[in-house]
Amino acid sequence: MSVSAIERCLWALLAAFMIAVPWIVPALVGSFWVSVIAEILIWSLLAASVNLLFGYVGLLSFGQALYFGFGMYGVAIGVEDLGLSFWPAFGLGIMAAMAMALVTGIFAVRLTWHYFAIITVVFSLIFYFLALTNKWLTGGDDGINFTLPPTINIGGLSKSFTDPSFQYFFILCTAALCFWLMHRLFRSPLGKAFLAVRDNDVRASLIGLNVYLLRLIAFVLAGFLAGVAGGLFAFFGRYASASYMFYHVSGEAVVWAIVGGAATLLGPIVGTTLFIIVREIVSTHWEHHSLIVGTVAILVVMFAPKGVVGLWNDWIARIAERGSAPAGAAKLRTEP
Amino acid sequence: MSEPILRTQGLTKRFGGVVAVDNLSFSLAGSRLHAIIGPNGAGKTTFFNLVSGLLAPSAGRVFFQGRDITALKPHQISRLGVKRTLQIKSIFPRLTVAENLWITGQAGRGFLHPLRTAASDQQAREAVERTLAQIGLSALASRAAGTLSYGDVALLEIGMAVISRPKLLLLDEPTCGMSPAETKRAVDKIRELSRTVDIVIIEHDMDVVFEIADDITVMAQGTILARGSPKEIAADERVREVYLGRDEDKDYVEEAAHA
Repeated sequence: MSVSAIERCLWALLAAFMIAVPWIVPALVGSFWVSVIAEILIWSLLAASVNLLFGYVGLLSFGQALYFGFGMYGVAIGVEDLGLSFWPAFGLGIMAAMAMALVTGIFAVRLTWHYFAIITVVFSLIFYFLALTNKWLTGGDDGINFTLPPTINIGGLSKSFTDPSFQYFFILCTAALCFWLMHRLFRSPLGKAFLAVRDNDVRASLIGLNVYLLRLIAFVLAGFLAGVAGGLFAFFGRYASASYMFYHVSGEAVVWAIVGGAATLLGPIVGTTLFIIVREIVSTHWEHHSLIVGTVAILVVMFAPKGVVGLWNDWIARIAERGSAPAGAAKLRTEP
Repeated sequence: MSEPILRTQGLTKRFGGVVAVDNLSFSLAGSRLHAIIGPNGAGKTTFFNLVSGLLAPSAGRVFFQGRDITALKPHQISRLGVKRTLQIKSIFPRLTVAENLWITGQAGRGFLHPLRTAASDQQAREAVERTLAQIGLSALASRAAGTLSYGDVALLEIGMAVISRPKLLLLDEPTCGMSPAETKRAVDKIRELSRTVDIVIIEHDMDVVFEIADDITVMAQGTILARGSPKEIAADERVREVYLGRDEDKDYVEEAAHA
């Protein structure tokens, strides 16, 4: 069996499992875990937003929670204050996140490395405190609770997130669509240009790439991913709160993305899954579960700097090299 | 040809109190392989940085084919057809060799498609394959560029220059750090290129300069000291004094130690 056949099999198994979750998981471990998996899918989009910037354009953002928060509030304010239905509210959340990413990005992507990381934290802190203090709009600490509008309402057919299976499949489809779009993006001309900017920005400008504009586009696309995640999470929890805009949330997404494997498509999913499952299992028994998070993060950065998926890819490449086909060598090496 | 391909007018760059390029007026008629030589610190690389837009001049103007490019950004200048290499080899280390060439060939396009696969553009792919064959790196096409040997990186840089379809090519010490065999390969390639593209080359290796250049400009302390054919330059007393009299090998070893 060739390496690509093994990978195809794993993909098919994963897809089958994800589709069967609402039936398998309650029978095996309890229906609570269906919503944990839905939550993992949502948070993996936030981690993917970090990964798009860090893994593919070389910008480490510690402020992606800001755009997650804007997605959340866009949905909550849209539903509760503006009386919007599901889709317009979802759209408002995503647009708000992207608009915010555009405005902050215009300033942030002029900088790189630690300066960039700091300015993203500063922006997210500013808006976190603004959200906390402007209670009339955001509900401050208490946040905004809202009544869930139906997602589909055509004739007699009405579906909403109150149906757990529908909720799960809606989140699964949205996440799958986003990851499929990223998969296309990373192989596209625009994606290659992102990689060139990440690898060597001076050279990129000398071959004619508009480095500033490319970084800004990536920043807005990352805002889109974070906004989708935030919007979904608002519908999922029927709730929006300033606490999700805190940079602590951004930092967690950075850890998920790096541990899972930066510059890999699935790294953010793997990292998010790992940490949320650990959290769900350990936190019921031991309140200091974040110690485990820290330890695992340090170990991975020290011993597997390419993350879990990076390790896997290296392993696959080695197997492929041992076989006859040198195709494995075509895989992008991720060492600096 | 009436309008020179590259012309500078009173070009000056100051770094604090140091004048790196001093009121430089340079003009380059087309269809020649032009070399710039001069001792370290003469302002040669700074001159390239000013022309390619990496640095903004303190005073003066740069014209490319009669068009004022002084205020343009590097990518805008590059899109006009002024391409350059950097003194320290500069490629995209985590991209494959083929991807390095591919993105260099496509970078000038205004629109980069966000969803179509890069591999689906047959024209671009064929250009990459042609260039790979030209520089003799076809066998290494899928290797990460960062894992190549120094000489192969230099060849890749030349390939990147070729595939970008330059109108004017600025080469900053292209043979620096190469073995004699690699140097010969690179020089052949540069000479071949010069038949279709105007080239300005900064070079420390005098054998290379006198072998390939049609014209030589000697720079010292930010200004032009002399200009002429290789014969004229070799005979010029002042040039001998500031430059050719120095021990080139020592000069080179020092530089390598700092690189």
